[in-house]
Amino acid sequence: MSAQGKTVSGALSLLLLGPFLMAVFVPFLWMVLGIFKTNAEFFQPLTSAFFPAHYEWQNVVELLEGKWVPFWDVFGNSLAVSLGQAFGAVTLSAMAGYAFARFTFSGKRLLFVLAVALVLVPRQLFAVPLFSWVNELGLSDSLLGVMLPGVVTGLGVIYFTQVFRQVPVEYLQAARVCGAAELRVFLTLLPLVWPALLSYGMIHFILAWHEHLIPMLVLTSETKQTLPLALAKLYDVSQRTPQGVQMAASTFAVIPTAVLFAVCHRKFKSSLSDMLVH
Amino acid sequence: MAAADQRTPGARWMPFLFLLPFLFFLLIFWVIPLVGGVKMSLHANGLGRAEFVGLEHYQALAKDERYITALRNSFTYTLASIVVIVPLALWLAHLLRATTRRLRPVMTFALLLPALTPPSVLAVLFLMLFHGKNGLLNQLFVMPLGLEPVSWLKDPDFILSGLVLQTVWRWTGFMTFFILAGMEGIPRVYYEAARLVTGSRWQHFWHVTLPQLRPVLLFVAVYLVVDGFSLFSGAFVLLGGSGGTADAGLLTVTYVFQKTRFFEYGTASAISVSLLPLLMLALWAALFLRRRTA
Repeated sequence: MSAQGKTVSGALSLLLLGPFLMAVFVPFLWMVLGIFKTNAEFFQPLTSAFFPAHYEWQNVVELLEGKWVPFWDVFGNSLAVSLGQAFGAVTLSAMAGYAFARFTFSGKRLLFVLAVALVLVPRQLFAVPLFSWVNELGLSDSLLGVMLPGVVTGLGVIYFTQVFRQVPVEYLQAARVCGAAELRVFLTLLPLVWPALLSYGMIHFILAWHEHLIPMLVLTSETKQTLPLALAKLYDVSQRTPQGVQMAASTFAVIPTAVLFAVCHRKFKSSLSDMLVH
Repeated sequence: MAAADQRTPGARWMPFLFLLPFLFFLLIFWVIPLVGGVKMSLHANGLGRAEFVGLEHYQALAKDERYITALRNSFTYTLASIVVIVPLALWLAHLLRATTRRLRPVMTFALLLPALTPPSVLAVLFLMLFHGKNGLLNQLFVMPLGLEPVSWLKDPDFILSGLVLQTVWRWTGFMTFFILAGMEGIPRVYYEAARLVTGSRWQHFWHVTLPQLRPVLLFVAVYLVVDGFSLFSGAFVLLGGSGGTADAGLLTVTYVFQKTRFFEYGTASAISVSLLPLLMLALWAALFLRRRTA
């Protein structure tokens, strides 16, 4: 295609993409602007009062000072749970993936199918027995009770099996010839697959950050809540939280995952491109 | 496979050493609750010392109209979201490929925002689209056409479409990202070879891009099936845990949740267990398709 033809098709694509970008972006813009609105402004028809009359930080201050929910506790809990869960999931899945990709052993196929089956059973469906079991383990109302069940992931195992299959065999042989123990071989491979570890950690962090049902069942005290629970409480009509505070909390709930993604974006995409097609 | 000939004698337990942590957590937090769920579904409602009732809950479910409705809704919802999202994401990825490299990351990021957002926040933002007369959808599209504003969340004819629209909004960008990553991984040589045969870009898409993207599309479809059957937060915030008017938006997880709220744990577990064969069927279909591709 000529250079000119490329520019034209690029411009046309932009034009076609425009409405979709708007449809995605406008609600978020409205959310951020909502921080500065009074309740009266907030409920006016959107087309007539999209922008607030004044920009004041009152609502953000109220939220951060913990007038409505113990915000910093909640935010810290969510961070701790999601980071811990992501780290645990990456560790377990990478090790399991390495075993599936690099060894032959009896029962391998069966175990792998079991791992795949995991992906297909939504944890939400078995939330009640999981909850009563977590209680029996003495983990009720503890962050560990939310974090630990989430470290098992079928998706992660499949992902890392694929990742380690693609590591050139020469690397392994070189490491083995040097007489490295198997665990050392695994550890020396880790820097090689660093983008994959990061990518999966990010996906899992996002999923953990969004989890609603299991924390809802396990966590009871107010200072142990995670963000989705606090948000649900803020949104609850009977609480009469100002809309601006609700929007401020919503914005803060999006920021960590958005920043994380923006930072890891490139690594994530190239590791996906390498993997998906082969 | 090259991996096979690297066995060292005496290291037969080695793979299990690597698998052990995973298997341990799998047993504790997945197998045990699952077995617990099956057991619960065979006992009378209520926690603790409930008596054994055999398949009673399952028999009751077969006659339960709300269960049938929930199943039907979940199926329609999942199928509709796949049918809308996959072609749309393919198209968007294609469009993104045509734009300049400099703008692409910004646009991908914008499209991905909904996937990065907690579902409960999404649901609230979505309310603004649907919320009665003031909602954007009614203000910008329905009313200017001289039509009555649609009550998206109350009118039984529209609730399910509303939920599907929410999923489309949430996942399309994410799937576009995956498909785009897949497209960028296709070796250029394939297209050069295809160009020798035909100049039609449609043919290139059909005979090169699509077959190469099969694993990606498979992943996308499986992901959406699982997500479709586990949707909770979104429907919970939008419909307040109810099934909406005339149960038009009643999904399986919502129904499980409703049963749990009234401490009907046996029934709730029976609903969950009854979905397993269906999900396994999806798994089998996915593996079958994968084998045919290979």
